[in-house]
Amino acid sequence: MALNLNSSNVATRENRIGSITGYIGSLSDLADQSNRGTLKGCSRCFSQSSTCLSTCALGQLSAIREVAIIHHGPSGCSAASADAYYLDKVMAKKRGITNNTVYAGTDMNEKDTIFGSAESLRRIILEVNQRYSPEAIFVTSSCATGIIGEDIDSVVDDVREEVEVPIAAVHCEGFKSRIWATGFDISDHAVLSSIVQPPKQKRDTINFKNFYESARSEIIDIFSNFDLEPIFLYCNSTIEELSHISESLATTCICGTLGNYLGNGLEEKYGVPYIRSINPLGIAGFETWLREIGKVTDRSEAAEKYIEAQRVIYIPKIEEIKKELKGLKAVLGMGPGYTFEVSRVLNELGIEVVWALAWHYDKKYENGDVPPSMEYLLENEVDFKASVADQQNYEVMNILNKYQPDLYLSRHPGSTVWAIKNGTPAVYVADEYMIFGYKHTLEFAQSILESIHNRSFEKNLARRVKLPYTDWWYQQNVDEFLEEVKSNGKAIR
Amino acid sequence: MSEIRQIAIYGKGGIGKSTTTQNLTAGLVEHGKKVMVVGCDPKADSTRLLLGGLAQKTVLDTIRDEGEDIELSRILREGFGGTRCVESGGPEPGVGCAGRGIITSINMLEDLGAYTEDLDYVFYDVLGDVVCGGFAMPIREGKAKEIYIVASGEMMALYAANNIAKGIKRYARTGGVRIGGIICNSRNVDRELDLLRAFSKELGTQLLYFIPRDNIVQRAEINKKTVIAYKPDSVQAQEYRNLAEAVIHNADFAVPTPMTQERLEEILLEYGLMDLADDYHI
Repeated sequence: MALNLNSSNVATRENRIGSITGYIGSLSDLADQSNRGTLKGCSRCFSQSSTCLSTCALGQLSAIREVAIIHHGPSGCSAASADAYYLDKVMAKKRGITNNTVYAGTDMNEKDTIFGSAESLRRIILEVNQRYSPEAIFVTSSCATGIIGEDIDSVVDDVREEVEVPIAAVHCEGFKSRIWATGFDISDHAVLSSIVQPPKQKRDTINFKNFYESARSEIIDIFSNFDLEPIFLYCNSTIEELSHISESLATTCICGTLGNYLGNGLEEKYGVPYIRSINPLGIAGFETWLREIGKVTDRSEAAEKYIEAQRVIYIPKIEEIKKELKGLKAVLGMGPGYTFEVSRVLNELGIEVVWALAWHYDKKYENGDVPPSMEYLLENEVDFKASVADQQNYEVMNILNKYQPDLYLSRHPGSTVWAIKNGTPAVYVADEYMIFGYKHTLEFAQSILESIHNRSFEKNLARRVKLPYTDWWYQQNVDEFLEEVKSNGKAIR
Repeated sequence: MSEIRQIAIYGKGGIGKSTTTQNLTAGLVEHGKKVMVVGCDPKADSTRLLLGGLAQKTVLDTIRDEGEDIELSRILREGFGGTRCVESGGPEPGVGCAGRGIITSINMLEDLGAYTEDLDYVFYDVLGDVVCGGFAMPIREGKAKEIYIVASGEMMALYAANNIAKGIKRYARTGGVRIGGIICNSRNVDRELDLLRAFSKELGTQLLYFIPRDNIVQRAEINKKTVIAYKPDSVQAQEYRNLAEAVIHNADFAVPTPMTQERLEEILLEYGLMDLADDYHI
């Protein structure tokens, strides 16, 4: 990856790493085409839903403690601020701390759009700084400022000395990428370019990029076995913590889609190794990940000792439950990081994945390799039908209707409800640590078992619900609205 | 009371749209027509000859300085022969969005009741390179139903005219906008009349009028006047009167048929060259 921290702009995932939002085929073909460079994203002539990358970027940054987000755009663009504000407060409360981050919209109006509003923005930045004394300021763009080419960079440069805290221009116009994860990269870029300082000393810390640090105390306990202190990013992070992440021994993440840019950026810029193994979900994932951390931080012996002790406790229990799960068929729909990691865990538990829908797909990560989870599956001769579905519920429903799996798994709110209405038991993999390590892998297996043991709820609900999709749609191939697939005549059905 | 003829004038930058529009307006005024000219260019120089200088405060400057609660008289001034003159204006170069400004200005004019029933013509003089949707607003939202493209025999003028025709065609489907013809503002290039006739025909329209090149136009401009006001008895003043006649009587409105770049170049090769080798005299 060529990281350019001198520019406040980050190229989109589509342009930087060839990510796509439309594909129908199989896991092996997806990997094969990724390696051969023949993978082309297909756009849809009908799109039911999607997510704005701006929400991802701002959600990440606003979760940092005691900062100010100044969202430069019409008030509607800041609609997500209420959610972000609420979530940040809840997460701080759970942790037992306070988070006084402020999220301000500039309420750009029509006149501002015509004449530009650089001067108003400058005054708003100074006012927010004076009123709230944040520890850092992120000035973010919107589609409206993007269209008129508002020169946010110059305004930020102008006030830099006056505000006396780190300040960054964050270019997160929602329309510039169809892939919301571009927003994660944009937030990482802002943190890397404005907050992170060059290392002064090495510390026995490991950067842990995650969403909501729900397994915080548990992970602190695990790493205490190796004399390592995890720094959780960015939820509840402080600017002081973030300024030192270049001094850590390594960076890891709970989700490759989330952590990829920061991990690679810290490695490239400051030589902090990025753990590129499969993720710590399931047994193989957890062990591979721990061993890689052991290797990189020179703690292999301690890691092996820990693995050995934990296996004794959990493996027999997991083996026992696997007997009941064997032969089940599952469909899953998630972000690409989790899609292939969870598919791997399901395979490990003896559940057959019949179709995996990734909301988008990164054909390579910043280091140029295909995502490790995918490579692992193929090395272990696991293959299944796969599609890149951009959260298109109608595609999920088409597949569920055709395959009638025992189980549907999703990480996105609402998606599982539709499966249940279809009569399919569903597991909502909401918490990022739901399958983390031995303990949670066991719990995850138990959750699945509970979901399928009694299916009367799903059956009864399905009987009483009229879904909006017609028989016509269920009879169509799922790629019906994928334009390029059809026009090239290369549909894999 | 007949409907107001709302006319948009497009064409390559620097081709003479504003000059032609204002001189045409002067010709119409002599026919007793009531005309309003709306300048849709941030440079705000579309009414200079009718007003005798850049005396006009633009709609957008007025909104910026005084808010939106303004009287029509603040942004509309009377020029030559009672012509109503409005300049949309725009932000400083390189800042904001001039296209959105055009949309706001025209909406403001409507809100303030500038389109009175006694008007016979409204002209929208749009900046040369129709760079974004805002500058297509007069035709997109069905304001102007009639378009004239000012062109010359120069390659880039025809290229621009063809591109503009593509835009007109797009909006013709829904908005009912039609091309009324090409107005040639002559540059004295080789076989210009033949070339423009052939080009217009290929475009599915007519060459409405051929305005010969005359330096009196330049002199009138320096004097901040239309040619009709500056030298009413001149030959060129009569040309503009003739153009006004042609517009008044024009009944030939078409959906344009823009051509490919290759076809455009073929026409240029066929009509745009004299047989006189190495004579580049203009």
